Amino acid sequence: MLSENEIKIIDFLKKKENKSAYSTELSSIIPETAVFSLAYLLKEKGYVDVREEEKDLVMLTKEGEERLKEGLPEDNLVNFLKGESKKVQEIAKLFKDFNIALSWARKKGLIKVDKGEVVPLKSSYTSPEYSVLKKVSSSQELSEEDRKYLKELESRGLIEIKKNKVLLLTLIREPQIRPSITYLTPELLRNKEWTKYELKEYNVEALPPFITLGKKHYFREFLEHVKDVMVSLGFKEVKSDFVEMEFYNFDMLFQAQDHPAREIHDSFKVNGKGELLNKSLVSKVKEVHEKLWKYEWNEEIAKSLVLRSQTTATTARVLSTSPSKEIKVFTIGKVFRPDAIDATHLIEFHQLDGLVIDESFNFRELLSTLKAIFSGIGIKEVKFKPAYFPFTEPSVEVYGYIQGLGWVEMAGAGLLRPEVTEPAGVKMPAGAWGLGLDRLAMLFLGIKDIRDLYSDDIEYLRNRKVVY
Amino acid sequence: MVNIVLKESRLLSLLGLEDKDLNDVLFNLKSEVEKKGEDELEIEINSDRLDMLSPEGIKRAVEGILGRKLGEAKYEVTPTDYQMIIEDVESRPYALGAIIYDVKLDDDRIKEIIQFQEKLHCTIGRRRKKVAIGIHDLDKIDGKTIKYSKIPLDYKFIPLNSDKEMSVSDVLSSTEQGKLYGYISINGSYSPAILQEDGQVLSIPPIINSNKTRLEASTKNLFIDVTGTSLSAVAQTLDILVSNFAEGGSKIGAIKVSRYVDKSPLLIHDRLSVKTEDISKRLGLSLSTEEVSKYIRMMRMDTNINGDDIEVIVPPYRIDIMTFVDVAEDVAMAYGYRSFNLPKYTSKGMGELLPITKLERAFRDLAIGGGFQEIFTFVLNKSSLLSGNYVKIENPITLEYDSVRNSLIWNMLKFLAKNQHARFPVRTFEVGDVVIRNIESDTGYKNDTRACLAIMNSKVSYEELQSVIHQILYNLKGKEPNYVKEDKDYFIKGRSAKILINNNEVGEIGEISPEILEKFNIENPVVIVEIYLEKLCG
Repeated sequence: MLSENEIKIIDFLKKKENKSAYSTELSSIIPETAVFSLAYLLKEKGYVDVREEEKDLVMLTKEGEERLKEGLPEDNLVNFLKGESKKVQEIAKLFKDFNIALSWARKKGLIKVDKGEVVPLKSSYTSPEYSVLKKVSSSQELSEEDRKYLKELESRGLIEIKKNKVLLLTLIREPQIRPSITYLTPELLRNKEWTKYELKEYNVEALPPFITLGKKHYFREFLEHVKDVMVSLGFKEVKSDFVEMEFYNFDMLFQAQDHPAREIHDSFKVNGKGELLNKSLVSKVKEVHEKLWKYEWNEEIAKSLVLRSQTTATTARVLSTSPSKEIKVFTIGKVFRPDAIDATHLIEFHQLDGLVIDESFNFRELLSTLKAIFSGIGIKEVKFKPAYFPFTEPSVEVYGYIQGLGWVEMAGAGLLRPEVTEPAGVKMPAGAWGLGLDRLAMLFLGIKDIRDLYSDDIEYLRNRKVVY
Repeated sequence: MVNIVLKESRLLSLLGLEDKDLNDVLFNLKSEVEKKGEDELEIEINSDRLDMLSPEGIKRAVEGILGRKLGEAKYEVTPTDYQMIIEDVESRPYALGAIIYDVKLDDDRIKEIIQFQEKLHCTIGRRRKKVAIGIHDLDKIDGKTIKYSKIPLDYKFIPLNSDKEMSVSDVLSSTEQGKLYGYISINGSYSPAILQEDGQVLSIPPIINSNKTRLEASTKNLFIDVTGTSLSAVAQTLDILVSNFAEGGSKIGAIKVSRYVDKSPLLIHDRLSVKTEDISKRLGLSLSTEEVSKYIRMMRMDTNINGDDIEVIVPPYRIDIMTFVDVAEDVAMAYGYRSFNLPKYTSKGMGELLPITKLERAFRDLAIGGGFQEIFTFVLNKSSLLSGNYVKIENPITLEYDSVRNSLIWNMLKFLAKNQHARFPVRTFEVGDVVIRNIESDTGYKNDTRACLAIMNSKVSYEELQSVIHQILYNLKGKEPNYVKEDKDYFIKGRSAKILINNNEVGEIGEISPEILEKFNIENPVVIVEIYLEKLCG
């Protein structure tokens, strides 16, 4: 591909007799300063041969330029006389540079002086030197004949001669030259017009301008991945609401009403009371609380509203529907707990809760299910620790092995106590677990500050490498 | 979870264990150990195992699980001629007491005892509301009769660690404990009190002991009082305390009590009958009756085998054993969680996502296709940024998050405000739940899943966003939505509309008004759309 100026140079050379020209000649079409670099570009592309030469550079002096404008004095004198003789004194008054004109006109045999009169020998005249001056001024090439006058012109102070480096360009290959365009258009394609054009090259190595890319949120993607794991293990998704009654968040889960976890600073309270519609469930829950925890159960406390502090509330909601068939369900959602906000603590985060109700379910099956869930999420090595939760027995904490961190506590689980399932009319064994997802996501996504999972900096989100 | 701090060297020699075995053994007893200082261990005890809150209790449990000692640890109880007279104390009706002979105290041991007492206060004591404990130097008590009574607030005594006499009122207003716990027990102008026969104060539960019976390294014998609002909790607490002192080599002294029971401590034994089959079935193991019995005895309980039935005798220190499932857990622990041979997981049925989750995913994919960056913000927000009907939290941690969002628009604007200097245009979207009022719900509130898209740029147009949401909705429903002009106070007048599909309002779109932009400190125009995904679902 050739630029506009390169094409100009090639066109110029094409018209020359032996397809050669000096860089000085090209200055008539392109600034001479540009010629040098273009010449070598063309050489590289294989279109021209370039030879460097030392060359006389002929330039007009200031006087030379004046003479070019006004004519040589001797020529002017001859043309002034128009073939008639005139007295010397008479002409000298009217004619500028008379002495110079007289001297050169006599030397060249254009006039003679006789008895005080100038006698012209020609009626009009232009010196060959003048046409040389003209050629020099327009940088035209000088013939051998022309060159004979250079010495004389230099001695008259009309020109200067300097040694100079010039390039001799010789066209060695003619390019297929077509006009260039930037954009293809449907019209050009439709009638094959495009063949007449050259498509301009781009600076393909330049960095591109910014565009907004559509991109999923990396933490949400992690949560969706965990949902897929649960579905692949045969679990059906369920959900419940953020605003919950203490009944589902605590009472149904056999958490005594005077338990410290139910104090004012351990969950977010919401004004108002809910309605406990399933009277038989309520009275059975009351009964087991009073029998085993030995205190007076208060329905008003159970009706108090909180932002759910555990997704186990969703599990309690599922149980409250008294499922009569075997089920396997899970939920992933936000829970809320008052805490100081820092790099490792937030007041809202995500949990995964699961529930299996099955005639043949047992603790061993539960451990095997937990192992399968963690394996699906990507934690192959787990160990189990006995634990305590008010609503499960036996209870277990699951520890997962994370490269570089060692054993990390991941989930709490257990078989639901009959005190939890039986008031809801569920006689089959049931296993349940809860798993914090934010910490796990931090480990998997290499996040040091939990707040980054909910970053409000769009550039952080834009720049984060996608996990796949 | 409760953490206690113990001297490492002292604990290891008591348990007869090496440092490296301690972690492992305690892990299998629900506890975790962390090295603290030079010779200090922090041990996490689960809140059901209150018997393990002192080194002697840990020793008893460890000896069982290691098989060194099986069955109930039985302690000598000697009768004494001490008696406790219990009068009417309405705010805190129950009190019991016990004597401990032959304690060997030093500064470390006193620290352990105080820690044990404090941890019981926090757990079974429900921060002293349900149960409070007073531990006294028995030999500093004059006489053999101790009274539980109430005293007027001007009654004077010298509180613990003080040298001047104070009235109960002074204690309430000027001591740390008075301020923390005074509200629990003061009933009108009376405070509960443990008194000597002559009326000298030994303690004002649940606030503070008297300085008179203060423990010292030279103390040989103890009197323990436990008071509270539940007789069973009071009895259990006292049982755990005396059992652990006895495990440490002291003798329990029983006293006469004038009310509810004849003598104290009660040292209650529960008996429950479990079936080998039930235990095996619950655990998924096939265990013989002898094996089950052995595992129960490893957990320091006694058993009587009766065919396939096992009678479990629950010692006084195991107050967490309520029904057969609690026994099942103990069997599993003694068997060892790591010994369970896990079957390969199999799934009977197919799993499935909720329809709304599938819709969320489809919506997110389409928004991504539209070139929007997904964001994920908090559900909690600042109430001054919200408008309309929203849930306000009654006990917020910070004003920044004192309410629950009722629209994604506010969260989006808050996000955009933080990104005024990002590379423009900012094209963002979020899919998530908000909470709205709903009279049909039993709580009066309901989650509502929504989606929100926004464009912020030096110049935005309604059409630029409308064209995207139009295509998204068309692709979700196979039907073109239509737009009905509707003014909202947060949109520029004449530049907002509600979005309808089949005459059902599924969202709103508009250019945010300059007043709202100013309120959120946004210096660039914003156009926003919110879609009610649940209305699109199904």
